[in-house]
Amino acid sequence: MTATLPTDALATARASARGARRRRSPIDPAPATPWLFLAPFLLLFGTFVLLPAALGVWISLHDWDYTFPNHPFVGLENYQALIDPSSTASGPFWESMRATGIFTLASVPLLLVIPLLVAMMMNARFPGRNFLRAVYFAPFVLGVAVVSVLWRYLLDTNIGLVNHYLGLVGLPDATAWLTSLPWAWVALVGVTVWWTLGFNAVIYLAALQDIPAELYEAAHVDGASAWQRFWAVTFPGLKPVLMFVVVNTLILSANMFGQSYLMTEGGPGRSTRTAIYLIADTGLSSFQMGSAAAMSYILTVCLMILSAAIFWLFRDKDARRTGKKVRR
Amino acid sequence: MTAAPPTAPVPDRTVRVAGHRAGSVVRRRVARYVALYALALVFVSPLLYMLVTSFKTRADATGVTPSWIPDPFTTQAFQTLFSASDTPVLTWFANSMIAATANAVLVVATASMAAYPLARMQFRGKGIVFGLVVAMLLVPGVILVIPNYLIVSEIGWLNSLLAIIVPTAASAFGVFFMRQFFVNLPVELEEAALLDGANRWEVFVKIVLPLARPAMATLALLAFLTNWNDFLWPVYVLFSPETRTLPAGLATLQGANQVRYDLLMAGAVIASVPVMVLFSFLQRFIIEGVSRSGLKG
Amino acid sequence: MTNHTGRGRTVRAAALAATGALALAACSGGGDTPGQQQAAEFTGTYDGPEVTLSYWNGFTGGDGPFMQSMVDEFNAEHDNITVESNTIEWAEFYQKLPAAVTAGEGPDVGVMHIEQLSSNAVRQVIDPVDPLLEGIGLTADDFTQEIWDATEYEGQHYGVPLDVHSLAMYYNTEHFEEAGITEPPTDAESFGAALDALQEAGHEHPFWMPARWPAHLMFLSGVWQGGGEPYAADGASATFDSAEGVETLEWMRSMVDDGYSPASVDADAQYVAFKNGETSITFDGIWQINDLEESGLPYAAVPVPALLGEQATWASSHQFFLPHQNDPDEDKVAAAQVFVAWMSEHSGEWAGAGMIPARESVRTSGVLDGTVQEPIADAIDTMRFLPPVPGLGTIQAETLEVAVADGVLGDRAPDVALTEEAERATALMEENLARFGG
Repeated sequence: MTATLPTDALATARASARGARRRRSPIDPAPATPWLFLAPFLLLFGTFVLLPAALGVWISLHDWDYTFPNHPFVGLENYQALIDPSSTASGPFWESMRATGIFTLASVPLLLVIPLLVAMMMNARFPGRNFLRAVYFAPFVLGVAVVSVLWRYLLDTNIGLVNHYLGLVGLPDATAWLTSLPWAWVALVGVTVWWTLGFNAVIYLAALQDIPAELYEAAHVDGASAWQRFWAVTFPGLKPVLMFVVVNTLILSANMFGQSYLMTEGGPGRSTRTAIYLIADTGLSSFQMGSAAAMSYILTVCLMILSAAIFWLFRDKDARRTGKKVRR
Repeated sequence: MTAAPPTAPVPDRTVRVAGHRAGSVVRRRVARYVALYALALVFVSPLLYMLVTSFKTRADATGVTPSWIPDPFTTQAFQTLFSASDTPVLTWFANSMIAATANAVLVVATASMAAYPLARMQFRGKGIVFGLVVAMLLVPGVILVIPNYLIVSEIGWLNSLLAIIVPTAASAFGVFFMRQFFVNLPVELEEAALLDGANRWEVFVKIVLPLARPAMATLALLAFLTNWNDFLWPVYVLFSPETRTLPAGLATLQGANQVRYDLLMAGAVIASVPVMVLFSFLQRFIIEGVSRSGLKG
Repeated sequence: MTNHTGRGRTVRAAALAATGALALAACSGGGDTPGQQQAAEFTGTYDGPEVTLSYWNGFTGGDGPFMQSMVDEFNAEHDNITVESNTIEWAEFYQKLPAAVTAGEGPDVGVMHIEQLSSNAVRQVIDPVDPLLEGIGLTADDFTQEIWDATEYEGQHYGVPLDVHSLAMYYNTEHFEEAGITEPPTDAESFGAALDALQEAGHEHPFWMPARWPAHLMFLSGVWQGGGEPYAADGASATFDSAEGVETLEWMRSMVDDGYSPASVDADAQYVAFKNGETSITFDGIWQINDLEESGLPYAAVPVPALLGEQATWASSHQFFLPHQNDPDEDKVAAAQVFVAWMSEHSGEWAGAGMIPARESVRTSGVLDGTVQEPIADAIDTMRFLPPVPGLGTIQAETLEVAVADGVLGDRAPDVALTEEAERATALMEENLARFGG
């Protein structure tokens, strides 16, 4: 249950001024009233969200060693060092960005498709449906620590359950899931899918249940195949949640840390050390906070460009669709 | 091809859609549910194995051939965890409980209060506040980690549960979530109360909050779970065994030189039980909260 | 884990800032090095009010209970001092100690490894202990030269040595009997013969070669055996890609290629396999002795054989340190010194944890007679320590350990992996020299 991101956030923001006017109260509040309501939140929000967001920029412009009293100003050197391929900082950083990229590319499609299959299977009334829904959701309420510690055990090359059963059915039984490539990635992605598929499945399921049965009927009457029904009825019905699911899954995957910290310890070599892992290591273990802050800004910019692209993709289509509706 | 009459109220649309081929469909349905249950069993089997292993001896847990039945059955791992001074699991448990509960209360209180004027009042600066809240929803949390460490260190909260409770309570999501709920409440009751001379606080506490209970419960649960499972932050800001939360403690259990799977699984079980209990009783709230987070309003 | 910032300009900026700080210090009349204190004069006893000391260490393994019983004994003997242990796994310990001390949340006394002293000294996480050493009456004569030198940084000593612990060769005595091996191997030839004999006796993989811990300790031992040095003594460059290094890593990989070890051994798997009787020989630290005793496995421990030249073994040493206090409590400082002195004097009991006492008088007093580690203690003169270069531990984890892992796993050719990582290590060491003003 990490950062969640509402679909219509931007639209609502834009509409906020307009929207509130619609429901104007008969008595206008005293000028201080709204601020008194907002004060506790704004205090927290200002101290632990707005201030650090700005302070991070300041830190990234310094050679900021937490354990040293002096933090010399270095301008953009931290950023330059990350971009300059000949510096000692850039190699590991881009390696970690690559690891984050691999993980995201491998896990996002699976986390979009598999939960959908699960949701479609569950989108019917049958005995124990709520129970099954809870079962598929269950791993998600466990934290990354429990999940990773558990799977590290199950995936142990020599005493793990996974290799044991693979051996029983005649498959290779000595795969080093956590210490060799590409298996370490297979393990990290697989465990993440197992852990979080319930989250997206539940969201899909809610959207599926909003699709009127009549639409399926009509499609059936028209003689549409299951595949055609999916594209004509199911997929459009998922549109309202799809952008949220895509952006949220993308951001969560790009923020992967615990799984590789606990399961592979970034290995083999440095190959599964993600960007977040390196940022935490650099800033909070080696105390090179300036460099770590610079890394986090580069990562953030990359993520925001990606999210913006997805927003734009979905927005555009939505607008066109509404446009058509109006014309009709 | 004859479709079922469209007016007949059939509860299950699967049956209805496929109604014209009843015989094979029933068989296929049964096969599908059996498959679903079988898959679900495989799906949860890792959790069962975790539970089984926590009752094994150290040697049994790392035996060459894995077994599903502890031989001998023992609570040794739990006892070791409970008695060892360097792995005070009960203290970690209490810490996690305190932190997650306090965090949930703080999130619900501050978010509800902040969401109310954003949903119901007109004032200068509202657009900016709401814009900032939404903007921060879109900013990944990474950029906050390093500076927040410094801020928490400045305040003197390093190695203290306050570092786990307070900073993450600034929940932009919570404000957004509660605002959506308030906006969709009928405004008439509040207006009537205001006309009767009640002040905004009274309206908020006596009328709005009671109506918002389901939303508050959902938000509280999500906040509790998030905090209970938080990993990166506690690992770095807590230093001593007596301040650690369960996930951070679990990471330290995974010692450098010796992997004690019996202890690890016992620790994982202890960390899982409360959320699993919470989940089994309140799953409706949690799952509905999650499904709503993806839908508009 | 790296220190990365632009080099040249950073140095100049740092120099400027330092000048500024000096000027400020001069203005305010502060004459001392800012922040650093010498341990207060040691009086030998503590008569002050009751104090509770926070004592940090990383004894999470079989050594933990021994440390705790010594602490209990100390507490029983001292009415006005209560020592509370905080045992944190070592990797985490080194990550948290600097942050905790900087934040004023640090301990009153602690134990760390000898190779970590300089890194923490330069960050002013720990204070020099020369007056304490003097007070207890410890001098260079009480320790081997290697240890004494390795505790020194910039002319001051930062640790009171507790023990020495090295890598050892453990072997399954039953397997050896089955294979008809009567004498444990001591060199490359007898080692190879033993492996072949074990395979013939039906032990398919007699020697599991780990890719992670303690693989790099085996690698370091090999470099020293060949007569090489992994790092330049002045901390300016990494030299582990030397001929000795390449030869060592090639030998490690050959254990897999020649079929003595399975490929891709998981972290700790070689040790678990040894305990399960799946493998016959393993190299590990002597801190595992208690754990093996408990397991009931028929085993013995001997010094690591001279596989790549002369006999030499990686070793480390646990050192008591006094953390820097932003706001020292004199009572606690005095009590902490009493604690360290007592532990040093009672370090014979620590032999029960499988360790070798560092103090010569204690080591030769008979406390090791009949212990498992006795034959290893006899080889103390062949034990080698990493040089006291600040930040070396972090760099080593980032470079040397990665090269060794890649080499063993066959992901990179040994010479390529070593050359590439040594280059990186050298760059990082140069940066550290600039940063820490070496």
